[in-house]
Amino acid sequence: MLDRFIKAYNEAVFETDKEAAFTAVNTALAEGIPPEDIVFKIVIPAVEEMMSNITKDPDANLAQHFMTAQIAAEVTEKMLEKFEHPPEIIGRVVIGTAHGDLHSLGKRIVMGCLKALMVEATDLGVNVPAEKFVDEAIARDAQVIAMSAMMVHTATGEDGACKVRQILKERGLEQRFKLIVGGAPYRYDTELYQAVGADSWAPDGVNAARAIINLIQQVKHRDSAQDI
Amino acid sequence: MTLLVVHSRLGKHRFEVAKGLSVREALDITALRVRAACGGTGACGACVIHLVGGEVSAPTVAEYMKLGSDERAAGARLACQVRLKGDTEIRLDRPAPPSPWKSIPLENLKPLTHGLPELRAHTLGVAIDLGTTQIRVSLLDRRSGRRIATRRGPNPQGVFGADILNRLEAARANPAHAAELAKLVRTAILRAVRDILARDIGEVKAMLAEIGQVFIVGNTAMLALLGGRGADTLLDPANWQGAIDCRPHDVTPWRAKGALPCAELVMPDPVAGFVGSDLVADLLATGLTEGPAGALLLDIGTNTEIALWDGATLHVTSVAGGPAFEGSGIRHGMAAEPGAIDSVCSVENHYRWRTIGGGAPQGFCGSGLVDAIALLLADGRLKPSGRFASPPGPDGYPLDPNHPNTAITGPDIDAFQRAKAATAAAMSQLLIQAGMTWRELRRLCVCGAFGRTLHLGHAQAIGLLPAVHPGLIELHAEAALAGCEQALLSPGGVQCFDALTAKTKTINLSLLPGYEDRYIEHLRLRPIALTPTTGQRP
Repeated sequence: MLDRFIKAYNEAVFETDKEAAFTAVNTALAEGIPPEDIVFKIVIPAVEEMMSNITKDPDANLAQHFMTAQIAAEVTEKMLEKFEHPPEIIGRVVIGTAHGDLHSLGKRIVMGCLKALMVEATDLGVNVPAEKFVDEAIARDAQVIAMSAMMVHTATGEDGACKVRQILKERGLEQRFKLIVGGAPYRYDTELYQAVGADSWAPDGVNAARAIINLIQQVKHRDSAQDI
Repeated sequence: MTLLVVHSRLGKHRFEVAKGLSVREALDITALRVRAACGGTGACGACVIHLVGGEVSAPTVAEYMKLGSDERAAGARLACQVRLKGDTEIRLDRPAPPSPWKSIPLENLKPLTHGLPELRAHTLGVAIDLGTTQIRVSLLDRRSGRRIATRRGPNPQGVFGADILNRLEAARANPAHAAELAKLVRTAILRAVRDILARDIGEVKAMLAEIGQVFIVGNTAMLALLGGRGADTLLDPANWQGAIDCRPHDVTPWRAKGALPCAELVMPDPVAGFVGSDLVADLLATGLTEGPAGALLLDIGTNTEIALWDGATLHVTSVAGGPAFEGSGIRHGMAAEPGAIDSVCSVENHYRWRTIGGGAPQGFCGSGLVDAIALLLADGRLKPSGRFASPPGPDGYPLDPNHPNTAITGPDIDAFQRAKAATAAAMSQLLIQAGMTWRELRRLCVCGAFGRTLHLGHAQAIGLLPAVHPGLIELHAEAALAGCEQALLSPGGVQCFDALTAKTKTINLSLLPGYEDRYIEHLRLRPIALTPTTGQRP
């Protein structure tokens, strides 16, 4: 029975038809599918498939990414409200655009995918000072700081990723948080992320979610290794 | 429309032109201009062409005076005197040297209503709409309120990048670049003015001194780059909400010999960091605040600026409409210039295109792209998601298989969807800020890149414009230039701008949390829902 809903949901997502996606999910609920199954067996596999498709399709359509990430986030949010027990969170990330940068839509895709993949993402908004990235990461007990910068001067500027790295270094926090960057300038120069002191980067919003999960696992793995 | 065929050393050119124009008027808007040194009165005799055949007006007195009988017997005519009555073929042996400056088609210009009769000296004035990709110039006799001529040409700052940010970044990083960027535009404007004086008056040096005022409007970044300062200020969002003074500190280069020795340089302050004075010029030209409440104005371009008049306040904002509407970032996209497909219709399952000037298609301009996407959607070849029903491959889907330049690719659709979503979401957000709904719209003025060729039904079907009654929608060409001309011819001048700016309330969409939701809602290719559903979830 689940297969029928998976098919209907995937078709709706492929057509970026939010109304149809919700119809599929609501029908599944009405027919007794638990919200947990909807998230873990329908929504998450759909997000994962989108991730692998994007890597295969170089002409991936950004508008479709926005819409599918939005559907995934909204459906997940709605289902989470209905969970009997809150789901286990994979990890936590604080995300925002670099100081001086108001281009917020890239981070939007990342957040949508993260939400659907059970990562708790705290949106720090746009034009975020470097100090705030670090302070919030501490306050939220995050594993990853994610910074989006769409312009060369905000990607490479003194108040951007470089400064976050400097603060992490000064405050001895480099073991605790991983720093990931994304945005057009890093795509043009694929080594730029290292120059600004980031641990990783991603070429698009969907892959950024995957890269962030990798970093979360690195931090957690190291933590658990230290515990032993 | 009638066909004008021109034979020159450069080959054979075909132009579709309005009947009744003179050959000179018809060619002045193209890259193939006749020589000229007077205002088209037949006084200079420079614009000699040879009539090969066709239906034209009889020779005028001026032609009898300037052309000998043997010349006339050989078919010689003055291009400014010959008016086209039907399909015509001419020979142009000595075209004017190539120039980037062309006249703006007459049908796009608004009639001028009055002058400043009390003005005694330096009565000429120059109105300038300084755009990121194009500069538009109009020379007026301010005393009589007569337009002498117009020009439009490329903004030469393009060498520093088509994008505004690249230019600002270049100016910020290096003072020499900042000076160079300012000089490029100043020189371009002066060249356009000299081109008008040489071709439409026939006297350059003396006339330069007759110019008493240069009135410049543009987006904030262009004004800052022209002023040679402010790139730093503009790149910092902290400064985007307020007015920014862009006027050059040093006007000596403008006043230099061979430049405009007697001209006052007037640059009204832009509204904010991301809303330029070009929007205020649009408001002036359309009289937006003089009409009913619920009047929206869209100036569509790379940076789309939007104003909503609610009867008391002008809510203004801008969005990265994306260069898609100006044809840039589109595989076969181009500006609305000769060779651009500006409209497409569907006839018996075939797509029929029309180009500006009537020649072979070189690509799509904004209005052609809107038509193409709406038709592909209506025919089911394109889905509301923006996906093709069957993927056309990297070369795209050719509307006309005989012309590869008529192909539309997946990434083209994507760029277009994002541009139209930003535009629609911004309009919807402004309505919310003003506490209004789509249904309360009484006027929708569309200015900018689409000119007057936008097909309203198509724009509504794909959700670029709301599906309000078509009678409420006005298409304005060259509104910013018209507003600028209006200010040049009004005793108040710059005060007209200040009065409108005082009514504005600037909204920075990126700081409003609901805007992104709206943007994503509007990405699909479907009509805008006039009754808002945002916020409602199943």
